[in-house]
Amino acid sequence: MKNGTLVVFKKEMARFLGDKRLFFTTVILPGLMIFIMYSIMGQSMSSLVKDSVEKQYNTYIVNMPAVVSRLLEESNFDVTEIAENEIDGTKDKLKSKDADLLVVFPADFEKNIASFGQEGREIPYVEVYYYSSNMVSSAAYSRITALFDEMEQGISNVFDVNPDTENTMYDVATDEDTTGTLFASILPMVLLMLIYSSCMAIAPESIAGEKERGTFAAMLLTPVPRGQIALGKVLALSAMALLGGISSCVGTILSMPSLMGDVMESGDGMSISLSAYTPGDYAGLIVIILSTVILFITIISVLSAYAKTVKEASTLVLPVMLLVMFAGLSSIYSSEAKTEIYWYLVPILNSVQSLIGIFARSTGTVNIAVTAGVNIVVSAIGMLILRQMFNSEKIMFAR
Amino acid sequence: MKEVLKVEGLTKSFKLSKKQQKLENTDTKIKTAVKGLSFSAFEGEIFGLLGPNGAGKTTTLRMLATLIKPDSGDAFINGTSVVKEPEKVREKMGFLTSELKLEEFFTPNFLYDFFSDMHKIPDDVREKRKEELFKKFGIDKFAEVKTANLSTGMKQKTSLVVSVAHDPDIIIFDEPTNGLDVITAKVVTDFLLELKAQGKTIIVSTHIFSLVEKICDRAGIIIDGEMILCDRIDSLTKEKNLEDLFFELYFQRKGGDI
Ligand SMILES: Nc1ncnc2c1ncn2[C@@H]1O[C@H](COP(=O)(O)OP(=O)(O)O)[C@@H](O)[C@H]1O
Ligand SMILES: [Mg+2]
Repeated sequence: MKNGTLVVFKKEMARFLGDKRLFFTTVILPGLMIFIMYSIMGQSMSSLVKDSVEKQYNTYIVNMPAVVSRLLEESNFDVTEIAENEIDGTKDKLKSKDADLLVVFPADFEKNIASFGQEGREIPYVEVYYYSSNMVSSAAYSRITALFDEMEQGISNVFDVNPDTENTMYDVATDEDTTGTLFASILPMVLLMLIYSSCMAIAPESIAGEKERGTFAAMLLTPVPRGQIALGKVLALSAMALLGGISSCVGTILSMPSLMGDVMESGDGMSISLSAYTPGDYAGLIVIILSTVILFITIISVLSAYAKTVKEASTLVLPVMLLVMFAGLSSIYSSEAKTEIYWYLVPILNSVQSLIGIFARSTGTVNIAVTAGVNIVVSAIGMLILRQMFNSEKIMFAR
Repeated sequence: MKEVLKVEGLTKSFKLSKKQQKLENTDTKIKTAVKGLSFSAFEGEIFGLLGPNGAGKTTTLRMLATLIKPDSGDAFINGTSVVKEPEKVREKMGFLTSELKLEEFFTPNFLYDFFSDMHKIPDDVREKRKEELFKKFGIDKFAEVKTANLSTGMKQKTSLVVSVAHDPDIIIFDEPTNGLDVITAKVVTDFLLELKAQGKTIIVSTHIFSLVEKICDRAGIIIDGEMILCDRIDSLTKEKNLEDLFFELYFQRKGGDI
């Protein structure tokens, strides 16, 4: 016996897979774009970092003490000594990026230091000026303050912290953990936005479009129940959106090494490793993405069924896009997944939290199950609404 | 003679939006498009709904086709209510209007299969019927051409063929020759006569008198959503031709001014 849902599903898939351009723009393009975009971003970021690390820093120093002069001799601080009356002019140079750093020592600095430990000694100020909009200047600033800290500790060694960085790994985080927090903070939002835009690219066209062009009514003339038509459409659209989502994921994952790897390596040797994730993590990921895709498609389908034209539908789905974005932002501010169950009862927010959990490798199976369950229940309600809408002549045949 | 269609007091009104009120040039918020319409159609006949634009023909046919629901009244197709069992009605009914379009992305072959499958027609029956129909209308040569690339006439023939893919007992056709070139119009009217010969019941709506005189066995004249007169064509045209009869009725009703 032929099943109406299946017949509609097959037709929608034939429409999608048979249209090379549509297939390219919804499946191939998102992944490709992401890969290219992120790779370029990664490249330029790492070259920026490299630049600022390896560059010579144009450094101006007032009242340079001999200790500092010795300290900076074999570094990439390119030191020019200047007088106190040149301070203001040099600050302007910082702004025009003609200088990277300005350090002002008090005139009696060396005498003061020599009197260390005596009663009534005034603590000297060392002022370091830099220009934070200039990457090189910022890098120079953090390098020199670190140097000065070291110097200060050398003078007044009360105790040492982490003295043996050569032989001891003081950061107990493994590569896997590092991967986790990085992924957890940016990926959920990126992923959900990409999935939502995939859904947005196909559902309004398939529902509002068919309504607008008058091809929907022909389907409504057949004995297939409206609920089956709704289900067939939602399932087919979800399958397509899922392909788009997978493509985005692949693009993101492939570009990860160049996006974050280089940056991190030039930092302190952390690296990104995909082997951090277990099959269980991947299974959770698939469950969450799949249920979220179905939810998004259902929401967009309901909005598209309400709209009279594709254009109107595209406008109606934008506010939901903002909701997804805001929900996603919560992952950037906290890279830890919430543990309380109520976070997982709110659609969209629950997907964000579950994804954070999966990427940070700290989720409970219960939370994932709750998220998937909530998404499916809400989608089912959406599907019932959609069926009612397909049954409503006011909505389907509005003038 | 078997009564295939029985229409009983169909009534339908629409809420008019501000914009529609302006278009219709009226202050009333409710437009009653069809008012208590009743008629019957019998097996093996072509029944014509004749009326001017805005008379309520399309609205009536859409109610029969189960696309919209009447406010009151009902219609029965072989005893099945269009209000209570719309899905069962759709199994045995074909509906064709220029507002229904085919998805231009697909080929006639695909569309035919799709609609057959929606009607759960077994594959072997489908293939046999498709071959016959495609050949009859010359679609066979274009079966694998995207509908978007077909000529207007070929598109219309495809629509026609697809709408009868499930071999319906009753075929409802809104303005069957509207917008067709003379050749395609002839193909369509010949097909209607052929369906009639097969014992099908056909309901057409039109504002063209000659079409009614040529193909209809019986006709109802509707003006402002009301059935003014309904009879066999030979009785209607006993004294004067259909056009003269129509205008006489029309002026009687509208008080002489148009
Ligand atoms: N969906 C609708 N909303 C508002 N008014 C409608 C709607 N459908 C039809 N009408 C109005 O009902 C009347 C009858 O229309 P229709 O049945 O299309 O007439 P016909 O097919 O005989 O030309 C017209 O005045 C038309 O404007
Ligand atoms: Mg009409």
